[in-house]
Order: sequence, then C-alpha cells, then structure tokens
Amino acid sequence: MTKSVLYLELDNCIGCRSCLAACTQCGGHDEKYRNYVVDVNPLVDTQTMPLMCLHCVNPACARSCPAQAIQIHETGAVLSARVEKCIGCQNCTIACPYGIPKFDVEQNLMYKCDLCIERTQHDIPPMCASVCPTNTLQWLTKEQLAMKKEQNVLDNGKWIASSDHYLENETNVHISLPGILQKKQKLF
Amino acid sequence: MEHDHHKDKTNENKTINKNNTVPFAEDNFTHNIKQLQERKLDRRGFMKTLVGAAGVFAVSTLPWGALAMRELSRDGEKQYAEKEIVKLDDVKVGEAVQFTYPSEHHTALLIRTGEQDVVAYQNACTHLLCPVFWDKGKEKLVCPCHHGFFDVTTGQPTAGPPQRPLPQITLTVKQGTVYATGVKRYET
Ligand code: FES
Repeated sequence: MTKSVLYLELDNCIGCRSCLAACTQCGGHDEKYRNYVVDVNPLVDTQTMPLMCLHCVNPACARSCPAQAIQIHETGAVLSARVEKCIGCQNCTIACPYGIPKFDVEQNLMYKCDLCIERTQHDIPPMCASVCPTNTLQWLTKEQLAMKKEQNVLDNGKWIASSDHYLENETNVHISLPGILQKKQKLF
Repeated sequence: MEHDHHKDKTNENKTINKNNTVPFAEDNFTHNIKQLQERKLDRRGFMKTLVGAAGVFAVSTLPWGALAMRELSRDGEKQYAEKEIVKLDDVKVGEAVQFTYPSEHHTALLIRTGEQDVVAYQNACTHLLCPVFWDKGKEKLVCPCHHGFFDVTTGQPTAGPPQRPLPQITLTVKQGTVYATGVKRYET
C-alpha cells in the first residue's frame, strides 16, 4: 500500500480534460489516454466529471480475465493487461461496471489505467492528479483523506462521502459522491 | 426441529456481507491475479524449461560420441603390455588356468585345447558379467548364472542369454611359455 491514495471530488470538474492530456504523456501509455471526462447531463447543463478506474479491491476485470493478464500490484493498483498474457477476448471491457478497459484492435490488446504505477509506487502522484487545475483529482495521504471524510459527513447519519458506501464494492481510489457538498461553499 | 434448523441456516447466509467475497477468494495458482504471487514457473515457463533441459541433455551427450568416434576410428588395436601367463607344460590338455589380463580386475581363462593349441578369453559373461568357467566334460565355456554357453574355439555364444562373444585374448607361445599380447576388439 502506498502512503497516499487518489481521491476524486467529482463536482469540482470543469471539463478541461487536462487529465486526458496528461494521461497520454505517462510512460508506457503509448500516447493514448486511459480515462474519460463525461458530461453528467448532456444538453441540460455543462457539468462534467472524470471517469477513472477506481482500482477495485476485488476487480471484476481481473476476475473475468481467462488468462490472468490483469494483475493487482502490491500497492493495490489494478494494472493494465500484460502484453504477453492478454489474449484479446475483451471480457474485461464487459465485466467492468464503469466501462474502463479499452481495447486496442490493432495490437489485440486491452489497456486500462494502471494508476501510473511507475510513479505511484514511489508515492509520486499520477499524471492526471498532478495536472488537475481544480483539485478534482487529488493525491492525498491517509490523514488528509480522513479529514475529507469528516468534512463530508452529512447530518442524516447515512450518507458519508468516500467512506464505506462504495458504488460497487471496495475500491482503492476514493470518490466523493456527486452533490454531497451541495450548499457548502467551496474555495478552490 | 430438523426443518427449523435448516431455515435458520439460510437466514444466516442472507445476512453475510458478500462484498469482496463473491465469487470466492481466489488464493490459488491457476487463478492468481496478484502480481506478487505470480508463479515463477508458469505453463510457458515449464514448457521452455522442458525443451531447454532436453537441449542441454542432447548437447551433453556429444563428448561421449566424440570419445566413441575416437575409439572406433583408431586403426590398429590398442597397445597392451605383454604378460607372462603360465608354462605350457603346467597345463594339461583339456585343462584351464585362471589369470588376469590386461589389469588385475579383468579375470581371464586360458584353456589348452590341444597339444599346441591354447585359447584365452576374458571370462566376464557378456550377459550380466558372471564369471564364466571351463566345463571340461562338455568342452564348453559355461556361465552358471543363466546357463549361457560359449564355444571354446571362437568365444561365440552358443546357447542361453548372452548375445556377444567373450573378448578373446591373443597369445604367443615362446619357448614353452604362454604370453598374453592383447585383447581382440569386439566387432559387430
Ligand atoms: S550372466 Fe552369464 S548367462 Fe546371464
């Protein structure tokens, strides 16, 4: 486990897509980006949010892989498919609940966010988090994450952002639930 | 009672949190997705090791082939030291004496088959190396282990399991004394 974790504050996103540009520059990414920025309500408003691999503790993509090409790094990051193992069956693209794994038809190879493993295993923030201008993507220590969680406790005693309520099982990347900070004034 | 017990159990199962336990903990070799627990010797590695080992064994037989080549391509017989065996008068016709030639580990038999005729063979049976003895009555060399019989004039096997002749020792008689001068090479 690294000292820090990736934390997404989804409603900070302004849709600048710096994270995509940064992603293409990461070593080994072959100048292709591996994350998405999506419109939350297309044609209704301009709110966007990044869609990143959440690096599940129990990753559906890796479990669905018949060749065990997707491996979990010791830091918990779910790595991109290993070139020599991937058989190009695309099971993972279907298994992932977020649609993260992408498929390279030319190379017959799946590729997905590996949390810039060469950086994050030495506790350097991933490319996307290091360029995000609005702190949507943050590289936080465990203590900072705990502070965030504390801030985000709502008084209904139920909804707690980025705590034990995960979208799909437990993940290594933590996110704040969109809209949870409504009515809070935020200063970037 | 039996029925109630069953009911309790199913209820119990429902309350178990299946997060991160579904489908099951895959802590095994064939479905390992943890990079740290990657098998050192996977299927391909095993096959490579197999082929590599076969190659190493194949190459390591070459020196023996070279030795055999050298042995076979040598034109003349090997040089053996001349060795005095026995005085001809000390052996009656139809009798045999034991001696060793060329080294003391190679036991041999000298048989006087006629007034002037003597033959000698290394007497380790060509089947499984039992000591062959001279049967005066049958006028044959006999191996007691599995009833192997050898012709006394040629050393060829005549009955029993042995397939190859006994190695003949060449002799010369000088002034009533028999000398061993060499061992005939086995020709197929
Ligand atoms: S050892 Fe001589 S016959 Fe078997």
